[in-house]
Amino acid sequence: MIYTQRNPALLIIGLLMLAIWFSTDTGLLAPLLEYLASGKEYKYLNELTSLPLYFGLVAVFTGLWHWLGTHKEGHLDYYFSTIAGGMLILFITMLVRWFIAPQIEVIGVDFGEIGDTGKYIHELLGLNYVVLGIVAGIIIANVFKIPEWAKNGVRLSRLGLKTGVILLGALYSAAELKNLGGLSIFMIGFFVLGSVGIVLWIGARRNISNSMGGVLSAGMGVCGVSATVAVAPVVQAKPVEIAYTIGTILLWGVGCMFLFPIIGHLLNMSYVQFGAWAGTGILNSAQVAGAAMAFQPDGIETLMVAEIFNITRVLILPVIVLWLAVWYVKREGTTTTQVNVGRIVITKFPVFVLGFMLMFALSTTGIFAPASHYQGKYFGNTAEQGFKQEHLLKPEQIQILQLEARVIERTDHIAALERLIENGKIMSVEDDNTVRGMINAQILSDQANRILTAAHKAVRHTAQKIEAFRQWITWLFAFGLVGLGMQITVSSMKQAGGEPAIIGGIVGFIKAALSLIVVMLLVSEAV
Amino acid sequence: MFERILLASHGTKGAIAAENMAVQVCARGAVIDHLIVVPEFWQSMTGDDWLNNGATRDQFCEYLQSELGLEIDQQCDRLHQKITAHELTYSSIILFGKPDDALLQREKAYAYDLLVLGSSRPKGTPGLQGLHSSMLTKKMMQAIQTALLIAPYPSDE
Repeated sequence: MIYTQRNPALLIIGLLMLAIWFSTDTGLLAPLLEYLASGKEYKYLNELTSLPLYFGLVAVFTGLWHWLGTHKEGHLDYYFSTIAGGMLILFITMLVRWFIAPQIEVIGVDFGEIGDTGKYIHELLGLNYVVLGIVAGIIIANVFKIPEWAKNGVRLSRLGLKTGVILLGALYSAAELKNLGGLSIFMIGFFVLGSVGIVLWIGARRNISNSMGGVLSAGMGVCGVSATVAVAPVVQAKPVEIAYTIGTILLWGVGCMFLFPIIGHLLNMSYVQFGAWAGTGILNSAQVAGAAMAFQPDGIETLMVAEIFNITRVLILPVIVLWLAVWYVKREGTTTTQVNVGRIVITKFPVFVLGFMLMFALSTTGIFAPASHYQGKYFGNTAEQGFKQEHLLKPEQIQILQLEARVIERTDHIAALERLIENGKIMSVEDDNTVRGMINAQILSDQANRILTAAHKAVRHTAQKIEAFRQWITWLFAFGLVGLGMQITVSSMKQAGGEPAIIGGIVGFIKAALSLIVVMLLVSEAV
Repeated sequence: MFERILLASHGTKGAIAAENMAVQVCARGAVIDHLIVVPEFWQSMTGDDWLNNGATRDQFCEYLQSELGLEIDQQCDRLHQKITAHELTYSSIILFGKPDDALLQREKAYAYDLLVLGSSRPKGTPGLQGLHSSMLTKKMMQAIQTALLIAPYPSDE
């Protein structure tokens, strides 16, 4: 079979990308970008002047070959055929990130802050490029249908997420991985085992079949659709049971992806708290990444926490598959089915996690950033180190800090603030840490805190390689999530029903609510 | 009495009522074509699974395919026996896609005297949405060229 389709679509996508680049480069888009920036600096200008050019050229050349070239059967043909779908996803991501999400932001700001939350409606609802991208994907898949020429590429978009997770490995410090790992093992261990147990227990009371109980408990407890797919053949689930389970999980997952960031913003959760909550409470692992990026669209700290939880979940998956396989064989009393422990563990082991570990190991050697850097960031308060003179404190800012300094009691806080006031900038890493502590403790007014935050940011710089990693990771996840959105069909979600909908509703709600309470009580704001 | 009937049935309560009605309205020795549609939603069921490797996904797809095949075989065997017991001729047609499209496709391809369907499932009746209520659509009603018999949904009594 020849997969590459003779179609001009990829060429057209490439030409449209080049048109965006050309319009930006020549200033044709300047009025639009100025409008979208609402008086600030348009934050994606660097991307607009580079990405559409590079990817546009790739799409144009590949598109010409797709349309006019001769194609032969083979692996190469299959992999080349995926470029069209990949470029379609990328193009949608570009449009949403650069134009649609900023437009929603403009509308949100015009609407004004909501009550005393201090946030605009788009911030509260998490209507940023990630969520809008996923919604765009769902709309395209369900209203317009995925065109034949794009199907292979859309299917491969999950590779974007896996590659994103692998690259994330380069951004953790050993201490972070240890602390987050410990927390996730505790949280995931408790909630996964708890959910699996509760589903099996409720299932037994409601007289559902063992296969239904098995597949539902894995889906509800571990990582949603992925766990359902892994467990269904092991517990010999019937098609109707699989459809019920996946429909219920998708419905819950998509709902949670929109609801969690709203609750997180309303509760003023920190990145760590939200990442831990989303990583534990959202049933489907695909939507965990979506919710994390929806909560913090312009940074990856939440994603870093949430993905550790996702990785812990997927590492637990072979254990749960094994457990359910043994449980099913015992319950059914069947002697014909053999549980092959080794085969289950090997086939269910997520190989991409090894890539994540490899990247983490490489980062500890200092290959990406010197050991003195923390999270790829380093302290620098001289021009050579990247400090800009315009970031020196202004006289009116100094006056505000001097006035508020009187309420400070701790001597180290007083000393750090005095040095900041005297020099107009933070003078050492220790002072920077002290200032950060003051910001987090919210000792001073909001206005003073904003000045301290700006002073802190002025002396913190990101290593170039790490910055590049962050950019790539953001794009890979955005790409993967838009692609996943294009694979979520309303017809699948419509299958939610029967006992799984009731049990899933109960367990899903308990899991989300309990994990929120645990996170708020036990997880501090920073790792 | 009808000589060639297209009967859509997936073994649900409503469809069994349609089966019973079909055998009643057939002429002696008539042919009943049994249409089973595998709804297209199955194709997207693994859509957002991104954590598993290819081997696990392939295993799932093979498993699902074999289970669906098994269910279809059971339905065909059951209806085959029922129809031949009435001295009628049975043949099965299995299609993949949207149920209403599949019905129209088959109806256009062969000259049937009658189409027999079960009624839509009453609201609140358990069962997969994609399996039951998507054949009797407005689109199907407007496009159909053959006489259509819809069996009333059986009461619980």
